[in-house]
Amino acid sequence: MLPSNQSTRIAWGASLGLSLLLLSLPWLVRLDGHPHADWQQFLGRFHPLAVHLPIGLLVLVPLLEMAGSHRPALREAAGFVLVLAIAGCLIALSLGFLLAYGSGNAGAGVTRHLWGGVVLTIVVLICLLARPQWNAQGGRYAYPALLACMLIALVWTADQGGSLTHGSNYLTQYMPAGMKRVLALGSVQPSASFYAKHIHPILDANCASCHGEGQAKGGLRMDSYELLMKGGQDGPVIVAGSAARSVLFQRITLPPGHKQFMPAEGKPPLQPEEIAWIKAWIDQGASPTLAKLAGVTIREELPEVPIEPVGDYSALMPEIQKMEQGQGAKLKQVSAKPSDGLILFTVDAASTFDDAQLAQFQKFAPYIVEAELGRTAVTDASFDTLKQFIHLRALHLEETRITGAGLPKLASLSHLSYLNLSGTQVTAASTASLSAIKSLRHVYLYNTPAQPAPATTGTPQPKEKNAQ
Amino acid sequence: MKQHPLCTDTEQVTNVLDLAIPARVKQEWAELQTRRHFLGRAGKVLGWAAAASLLGDRSLRGDNYSAAGAQGGESLKFPNFAPKAKRAIYLFMSGGPSQVDLWDYKPNLAAQFDKDMPDSVRGSQQLTGMTTGQARFPVAPSHWAFKRYGQSGTWVSNLLPNTGRMVDDLTIIKSTNTEAINHEPAIMLMNTGNMNAGKPCLGSWLAYGLGSMNDNLPTFMVLQTKLNTAENNQPVSSRLWSSGFLSSEYAGVGLRSAGDPVLYLTDPNGVDREVRRKMLDAVNEINRQTYEELGDPETNSRIAQYEMAYRMQSSVPELADLSKEPQSTWDLYGPDAKEPGTFAYNCLMARRLAERGVRFTQVYKRGWDMHDNVTKILPIICQETDRGCYALITDLKQRGMLDDTLVIWAGEFGRTVYSQGGLTPDNYGRDHHPRCYTTWMAGGGVRPGITYGETDDYSYNVVKDPVTVRDFNATILHCLGIDHNKLAYKFQGLDQKLTGPVPASVVSGLLA
Repeated sequence: MLPSNQSTRIAWGASLGLSLLLLSLPWLVRLDGHPHADWQQFLGRFHPLAVHLPIGLLVLVPLLEMAGSHRPALREAAGFVLVLAIAGCLIALSLGFLLAYGSGNAGAGVTRHLWGGVVLTIVVLICLLARPQWNAQGGRYAYPALLACMLIALVWTADQGGSLTHGSNYLTQYMPAGMKRVLALGSVQPSASFYAKHIHPILDANCASCHGEGQAKGGLRMDSYELLMKGGQDGPVIVAGSAARSVLFQRITLPPGHKQFMPAEGKPPLQPEEIAWIKAWIDQGASPTLAKLAGVTIREELPEVPIEPVGDYSALMPEIQKMEQGQGAKLKQVSAKPSDGLILFTVDAASTFDDAQLAQFQKFAPYIVEAELGRTAVTDASFDTLKQFIHLRALHLEETRITGAGLPKLASLSHLSYLNLSGTQVTAASTASLSAIKSLRHVYLYNTPAQPAPATTGTPQPKEKNAQ
Repeated sequence: MKQHPLCTDTEQVTNVLDLAIPARVKQEWAELQTRRHFLGRAGKVLGWAAAASLLGDRSLRGDNYSAAGAQGGESLKFPNFAPKAKRAIYLFMSGGPSQVDLWDYKPNLAAQFDKDMPDSVRGSQQLTGMTTGQARFPVAPSHWAFKRYGQSGTWVSNLLPNTGRMVDDLTIIKSTNTEAINHEPAIMLMNTGNMNAGKPCLGSWLAYGLGSMNDNLPTFMVLQTKLNTAENNQPVSSRLWSSGFLSSEYAGVGLRSAGDPVLYLTDPNGVDREVRRKMLDAVNEINRQTYEELGDPETNSRIAQYEMAYRMQSSVPELADLSKEPQSTWDLYGPDAKEPGTFAYNCLMARRLAERGVRFTQVYKRGWDMHDNVTKILPIICQETDRGCYALITDLKQRGMLDDTLVIWAGEFGRTVYSQGGLTPDNYGRDHHPRCYTTWMAGGGVRPGITYGETDDYSYNVVKDPVTVRDFNATILHCLGIDHNKLAYKFQGLDQKLTGPVPASVVSGLLA
């Protein structure tokens, strides 16, 4: 593979020179993080447009070479495509450099992408030089290996570039959870603070593609709490305690058409509730650890407790059907699918339905997923029966005589997600044990000593207690 | 059994019931024989038909009665899957509430006051006879300001301050659209899935499919709100809660808005409970004999209805007795709720019915049909309904009932952005508008705090995520655990469905 004649020597020499020039470019013209001439940015913004042509051409080259083993005409075309690709690479590289230099982008991501582009162009150059020999059946593996290197460099560089425009989690954000686990992505345990749970995700999704590890426009990075509070080249963007005086808040609340509006470049504005959360978070001290903010309640998107099949109760069906005919407590199937379980209805016998009657349902205990015991005569003694309803998901005890003394007995119900204790005598102390039930999503304590009824027409809010 | 005239075999008379065919087919055949009986044919199969019905029967009560549900034959088909909502409350705003003035905020319209709406917006649409002759269609921006409410930042008109406070609990649909432009077909379409009368309504389909959750009150109840003569009222009729071709047990049972909630429910003087029971037993016996003779399932419906009425003699007075409601109830629903027949009273009653295991309650409020004088009438009707809606949702939520109750607020269509009749800075009218209108749902099965669908700048055409009436109904059924394609009943040779023959789809964007 050494240069043999005059013309190849010239080609090698020119390529070497060009490669050296490319390699030294980042030192010749330093990316200093400051915006420069407008014409540079104007031209530079054609980079994302121009970059896709050489990508397509470079993917085409190996395909043509492979297909060429059957159709020689295609192999001839491959050489031409390769030359075109080099031209495309050089144009895209120049425009990209203008973009980075002109707009003052100097983050680690930009640097990586730039180096990727330089290396890729040089590999393509070498491919072009190595090709004639390979074509003449000289080195058998060198050229295909170079093509493989070229593809790897291409994918890596393109991924870096994509992360700059769309954010680094663009491809993985909606990946199925199972796949994420396999790839060990996003396995970091989320912190419980308001910042970690609500503010950081907003900034990450909407801001970090320009103000992050990849690019740090205006010297501002928002991908971690410390960097966010540090601010940009013009100083801090957040004034803890005052959203109105915080540049960040000012910029996201400008009219969307305003020159300084953020997110810039036509990216979608933040949602009103997101803005409200940011405002509340800054106003209340912009703390990295505070878990709850006054005046902000966010519906927790806790995963639903999966429905577990209750087992086979077909042997009990005659009894269940007979009960349905009588006027009294009855069991009904949740759905046409027997394994969805049974609901215990007592509305027709509420006034007389007591602990002894409930105890008669013990033989159905594992199959009952919901028990409607509201307004019945059951007492705290009923919990001894109820704790055997191992598949119970919803328990209605509203306006019964229970005091809550037996509530700890429910701890064994690992599927219980709904518990209605409205209008009973339960107290804050007696409901404390409920926090042990991890599956619990909704606890209703309306009109109990634990949560007295509202006296006026204010905005009565039900207490939705999350056990986690 | 009489032989077919074309049958040449004089010796052998085949009995259908002896054939090796499924029992279900035999039963269907026997029922058809029942009908033929009325045409003068006697048959020994009738006794069998009666017996078959009785064998598969759970009881002669209102729920899951299998003579009426005989088409299925299986013991339980619905819900098809575990439902999010066990029951539903439908607040029907008859007349067509103005989406332009209440929900569909178009701030840019203010600058368009009295300008002609571009013809391109209306396209080739045929208008009602009330405005089709108008020389021009001047844009009438809403007279009222809008405000953002809740964490969802939803824009709601100042006419609905209480509703605004609960927007985070609502699933607002701005892209509901219908094919009918006049009240009767539109209201039939909304309720029964068909513009022509005679089909079962949503409540009847639910009663038929899901059955009752209690013994002492009907599965499906209807509450009409007292007439307010200051408003422009369109009639609502019992066609809207008819069970159509389903057994009449599944028809909605109305509570009167004044006087006794149900007429003739109290025993006459001198007739005590025991005498009443004896009388009913005797009547039932006679009816049972009639059924055995004729096998008409409607006879059983009659027996079931008598029994239900007997139980309602004690359950309805208890239902209507509001004396045990605490002060907090009146603080929430407002003073109107103490007066029977008001919208607030009906909202409170809907909550009480839900507590007592009623599957489906429909509250009708008339008066939304504002062809003129919008600025005077709309505040009246909003004032009348706003607090009741808020109170109902809030009450259900604080009592833990919103998790398994679906609440629906809808009319039959919306209103035009252009003014019907004269447009002045202070007043305007609005004609019927089927192409877009706003509805909302809340509770079991739907996603709270969202607004679904978008309309154009004139609140005239849907530009994103349209929801047709059949999609709307399919979504309601889905929340209650029903696959709308499976809730079918054979009638007139068709598998009749609430969502009709045109493919409908559950709107997944609305679901929790």
